[in-house]
Amino acid sequence: MPAMDDYKLIKSARLIDARGGSPRENWMMLIKGSTIEAIGPADEVSAPEAACVEVLDFPGKTLMPGMIDCHTHHNGIGDGRLGDELVTLPDEILTLQSAKNARASLFSGVTTIRENGPKNMTMFRLRDAINQGLETGPRMVLCGRPVAIVGGHMGYFGSEVTGSVECRAMTRQLIKEGADYIKIVATGGSTRTSFPMRPSFNLDELSAVTEEARKFGKLTATHCASSNGIENSLKANVDMIIHCVYRDADGSNNFRQDLAERIGNQEKFINPTLHVLRAGVWALQHKSDLLGGLTRQDQEMMDEGLRNLETRMEDCRKMIEMGLKVITGSDSSWEDYQLGNTVYETELLVQAGFTPMQGVLSVTSEAAKSLGIDDVVGTLEVGKEADFIVVDGDPSRDINDLWNILEVFKAGKRIDRGSERSQASVRQQSPAKEN
Amino acid sequence: MEFPQNFKLLKAARLVDGYGGPVRERAAILLKSGRIQQVGTEETVSVPEGATVEEMDYGDRTIIPGLIDCHVHLIGIGDGRAGEELTALPDEVLTVQAAQNARTHLYSGVTTVRDCGAKNRTTFLLREAVKMGITPAPTLILSGRPVAIVGGHLSYFGTHPTGPVECRAAVRQLVKEGADFIKITATGGSTKTSFPLRPSFSIEELAAICDETHKFGKHTAAHCASSQGIVNALDAGVDTIIHCRHKESDGTNIYRPEIAERIAERGVFVNPTMNISRVSVELLETKQEEYGLTQSEQSQLDGLRADHEFILDSFARMRDAGVVMVCGSDSAWGGYKMGNFQGEVEEAVVGGMSPMESIIAATKDSARSCWADGVIGTLEPGKQADLLIVDGDPTRDIKDLRNVVDVVQNGTVVDRNNYL
Repeated sequence: MPAMDDYKLIKSARLIDARGGSPRENWMMLIKGSTIEAIGPADEVSAPEAACVEVLDFPGKTLMPGMIDCHTHHNGIGDGRLGDELVTLPDEILTLQSAKNARASLFSGVTTIRENGPKNMTMFRLRDAINQGLETGPRMVLCGRPVAIVGGHMGYFGSEVTGSVECRAMTRQLIKEGADYIKIVATGGSTRTSFPMRPSFNLDELSAVTEEARKFGKLTATHCASSNGIENSLKANVDMIIHCVYRDADGSNNFRQDLAERIGNQEKFINPTLHVLRAGVWALQHKSDLLGGLTRQDQEMMDEGLRNLETRMEDCRKMIEMGLKVITGSDSSWEDYQLGNTVYETELLVQAGFTPMQGVLSVTSEAAKSLGIDDVVGTLEVGKEADFIVVDGDPSRDINDLWNILEVFKAGKRIDRGSERSQASVRQQSPAKEN
Repeated sequence: MEFPQNFKLLKAARLVDGYGGPVRERAAILLKSGRIQQVGTEETVSVPEGATVEEMDYGDRTIIPGLIDCHVHLIGIGDGRAGEELTALPDEVLTVQAAQNARTHLYSGVTTVRDCGAKNRTTFLLREAVKMGITPAPTLILSGRPVAIVGGHLSYFGTHPTGPVECRAAVRQLVKEGADFIKITATGGSTKTSFPLRPSFSIEELAAICDETHKFGKHTAAHCASSQGIVNALDAGVDTIIHCRHKESDGTNIYRPEIAERIAERGVFVNPTMNISRVSVELLETKQEEYGLTQSEQSQLDGLRADHEFILDSFARMRDAGVVMVCGSDSAWGGYKMGNFQGEVEEAVVGGMSPMESIIAATKDSARSCWADGVIGTLEPGKQADLLIVDGDPTRDIKDLRNVVDVVQNGTVVDRNNYL
């Protein structure tokens, strides 16, 4: 039987602790059980004498915190189907799909996820199964179901409410079921019966949810597909703005400098979800490559997707320039974007203006701060949980090195990720001719 | 990308076709589109001219039919917990567990399972997920929920009719939901509110279930923990007797030769589930070694040992009487985890079968008992290409059945290290 306090001594060429400084050369990390016991220059770190130590050496490689994806939909299949269609599947099947997505995500180097909207109890059940040792997956920050208006975006997942009293009751219900934060849908979205250019909840309703959540020490995040929703969210003191689409009620794109400044002043986090748009474009390009062309309708859809992506990239660039707290959150497996591909989102944030190191922070320490779990994970520091990955290359120079995951550790334990072939099957390929 | 219409040619030093004849040497088997095309030797098997062939030479190994476990409980955890406790878990959790078990069993060499009882719709929904490509699994032959009396064994899974009319309705409901066969609990069992030494349904009710099931071209299998249950099941026309314990209503083990004769005469299959009783003995023995046993645990252990000896003895006597015995593990029930169907096959050898006979009991005859022998169970042209490649020669040493090198399911080599 292994001793309770078994040690692991991890060596690598480079260590990114994600506290903001440059990568450290020739550092070592000592793990005791599930936590980081010591970290520092190689000659200063050692296990206690007579302790049982496993030494793991990764010459030439980079050690960094496990990735944190602040925006996932584990129920999703990522084959382009709409949420309206997905939700018709039985809960048991959605739970199985969620389990598969959880494994794909963990194997890809994501050791923590924040779920942004599953159906009914599915994610609570999956977490139960993981906690009982029946399944494996990343750490989970769960909302249970998103809080939506009647007919609103993702209302079909099971938590439609009206009025501030019902909003409070639903918040309490979700927390009772095990929610770690509250996801609110502040505007419509892809849901057929919803209106993406319009706000959903009234301000008193939104405020009721945020107040109630805060009472229990829980954070909130709102889906905002148009500017009105952003404005309401800021008034209601929401902690994270998701999508953050600057769009007027008539559908025209209009970057709202004033709102962006208020986001900055109120120190809110932004999760721009860029790649989910690109994934839609890629799906159409794959279709075009396969069929040798697109129907007019598909072509129009692709053109629109490209235009939207361009606008959103540009808005993201402005927000990054303003120094706003922009976080990696993939939005996978929504529509065409499959879990296990979080890096595509970080890559776009780097394209939009982040340095590669800022990209790394946006998917590790900054993400942990945005989820209120930075006391547990997000950096490699003494006392933190030993969630880390071993990467071939240096993601602080080239963000795409984040694809080259060699090992994943969660709570000090090495994850058996299975055959290389199965791991490779998780990555969604970009089309032959990328736009 | 793999095109299933392409030919696959597998070669190995030995091939067991499942019919019990001599092992074929320097064997070759040709697969196409998930089916077996030809079986023979390197010289006799030929590929049509111009066809693309993927050739795999397994050298000094043995090709055998994929194993068929005719008795599993996919939702089980196998950590010793009682069914009452298991069924208290939410359906989503049980479905996740069922998916894990299905994967484990497939990777261990079992290409078909017959599930003998799950809660609500869990196994049916697992099969939907398999069809959608969400998770891998052996071919699933499902009962959904067992048909039990009120308070009867496994009634907590959700189906407990009373009277022949409700019994027929229960069968129709299960068939509508996707049942491939009907599992009946003809006596009590481990379920706390049930009586293992007593029959459950009346013969009239049992007959209604069998008649209704046969009407749909499907078969029945009945759990029988004591002799009167076996007699009733035979009277009602059940197709497989599960457990088949020769036990009187006062709990004494008495082998009933006339029952065995009737089973043999009717061509009814018996699935003796012997390893699960060995596992129960071994669990207590481990406890005895580590912590010691209480007085009641000690007498429990003595009872279990005596039962196990009697079960092995009955196995031999039923075989002598001409009963066809088939291998079904009963895992992950009780303390018997999945991925260890080989344990049941080995127990059949302990009970007197030759290794070759036990392989047949775990392939061809198991398929026959599942009414699936038209499709699986033997290696012959036209059958589904489910096969195993094992190191060594399991017809000499049955333990070689554990040395699985590759599992071929429907003509495709399974990636047994795919955990997605």
